[in-house]
Amino acid sequence: MTRLLQGAAATALLSGIAGMAMADGYVIGVSNTVQGNGWREEMVCAIKAQALASGQVASLNIAHRNTDAAGQLEDIRNLIQAGVDAIVVNPASADAVNPAIKEATDAGIVVVAVDQAVTEPSAYNISNDQEEYGYLGAHWLFEQMGGEGRFFYMRGAAGAGADNDRDAGVQRAMAEFPGISVVQEVFTNWQQDQGKQQMLDFIASGIPFDGVWTSGIDNVIVDAFVESDEPFVPVVGADNAGFVGQLAAADGLEGAAVSNPGSIGGAGLTLALQILDGNPPAEHTVHVTPSIWANTTDEGRAAIAAAQNPNLDPEWPVSVEIPGWTTYTMDQIIACDGPGE
Amino acid sequence: MRRFLARHYWVTGLAVLFVLMLGLTRIIQPGFGISGLESVTRAALPYAFATAAMSITIIAGGIELSVASMMAVGGTLSAVLMAKWGVAGTVPALLVVMLAGAAMGAVNGVAVVLSRVPDIVVTLAMMYVWGGVALLILNGPGGTATPWLRELILGQVPLPGLRWLPQAALVMAVVIGGIWWSLRRSKLGLSIYAIGSDQTAAFRSGVAVGPTRVAAYAIGGMLAALGGLSLTLSTGVGEPIPGPYLMASVAAAVLGGVALTGGIGGILGPVIAVFILRLARLDLTLMSVDPNVTTIVEGTIMAVVVMIGGLVALREKRR
Repeated sequence: MTRLLQGAAATALLSGIAGMAMADGYVIGVSNTVQGNGWREEMVCAIKAQALASGQVASLNIAHRNTDAAGQLEDIRNLIQAGVDAIVVNPASADAVNPAIKEATDAGIVVVAVDQAVTEPSAYNISNDQEEYGYLGAHWLFEQMGGEGRFFYMRGAAGAGADNDRDAGVQRAMAEFPGISVVQEVFTNWQQDQGKQQMLDFIASGIPFDGVWTSGIDNVIVDAFVESDEPFVPVVGADNAGFVGQLAAADGLEGAAVSNPGSIGGAGLTLALQILDGNPPAEHTVHVTPSIWANTTDEGRAAIAAAQNPNLDPEWPVSVEIPGWTTYTMDQIIACDGPGE
Repeated sequence: MRRFLARHYWVTGLAVLFVLMLGLTRIIQPGFGISGLESVTRAALPYAFATAAMSITIIAGGIELSVASMMAVGGTLSAVLMAKWGVAGTVPALLVVMLAGAAMGAVNGVAVVLSRVPDIVVTLAMMYVWGGVALLILNGPGGTATPWLRELILGQVPLPGLRWLPQAALVMAVVIGGIWWSLRRSKLGLSIYAIGSDQTAAFRSGVAVGPTRVAAYAIGGMLAALGGLSLTLSTGVGEPIPGPYLMASVAAAVLGGVALTGGIGGILGPVIAVFILRLARLDLTLMSVDPNVTTIVEGTIMAVVVMIGGLVALREKRR
């Protein structure tokens, strides 16, 4: 046992020393608490690809595991100990990781929260406008349902900042359509298997419903309809490659994809580098606005057709680049190599 | 001295490994010092409570798979109560949280004793029950933590000569050590070890097996709830989704010298083991090892530890 530990430590130590040898440029830390989710994997790959493309990053120090906010506090503190110049963090919660973020900014480390905002004022936030994301998809869905009926509301993770914001957007759309109500509300925790099971269970319950709003766990929802031989209802999802492919193939499916680029991670890295170079943005919060592609309009179909790329992982968002924020190529993000790899 | 080493060779070995790992961390990151030790200790705090809860139930011959869910209940309940009752109501809130933890553990214990279903099955089911209860208390992060309690686990002990010692370590020593020490000196503690090593023999010597098991689970539940409280104190909000404490606490208990067959083990070993596992994570981060490899290494350490524990247990049984 000890020998195994020592062996692992020695190997890791060697690679660590190798990493330190090329200390030219910034060292950037990354903290993420959901592993094995396509969107988050794209986010991490965007950070790596952008770090490589920028030429300003000596090495990345990535803490990427499935954990809770307390685990993220530990990871951020470990990154502080590692002496990074900046930390790009996808926070587990808007408030809970503030103590460690404050410690980091007090230590002179630039902290950029991507995807979901944190309330710590010394941190910078860059995210997709999640409230607008919720609103755009829900508005399309309710129109598609004819302004009347009940929809299955498949949210993300309870308490996550993005989930709360999207819910606010969905509620805003519901206020415009008084004939629409929620038949059931579930949390998928943004896990494919969990979301699919919830959809299968709901279909099996036989309760009638007229639409499905998903928080990005989408292609497996369409699969659930196909597998249970259930007629399609309109489905809203994100711009994940698998779902966009299903929308392109149509086969009676009416759906809309709302863009939510995981490449926001790359944008977060760019923002961190700008701040390190002495060019902070005017506001501490930067928003990237989503767009919607419905396969019921010519315009949407054109956007969907243009976004097809057979090399992309089906769970990755197809909008892999954010103009003005990312400079890597499609091949670089798919390769998912950071500096020194 | 030799007798001490012979009796406590496992704990001594762990302590040496811990010091070696501190040294290794210092080599990797020369800046690692008092503040680093403090952040590791704070990270270790919830794990230490989870591991203590796991250890007491394993020593009593059971296992507590609902530990992370009970922590979520303790965390959310404490956050809600501290938000509702304010600073003045903090001490009553603490008592309620401890009682709720003991009650949850007692429910688990009674279910195990009455149903005669193996502990592993009952507590696995209760994992979902308590997970649901936590979501009923708070369906998203919420509540608050009383500032003076939060400061209790922050920084170093403000006493001359102890300014290197993290407050979180002191809290750990006083709370976990206190509970354990009083247990070891009581008849109940003796009975817990007795039923863990041989239920029949314990029964024949007049130990009330059922109530003792329930008591062990109740103490475990209380420790888990305190672990949940420590989560709330470190984040400042209560979180209903259970964290990664189940596997980590089994691994730390086993690595710390608690035998999966029951009846053997203490608390010092498992707590040192918690620190070793946290330092392993820190070192992997400091060396910027690929995050997926980090997960594999961490998982492998835990799996190997538990497997060795299982093998040892099997050999003991055959004897």
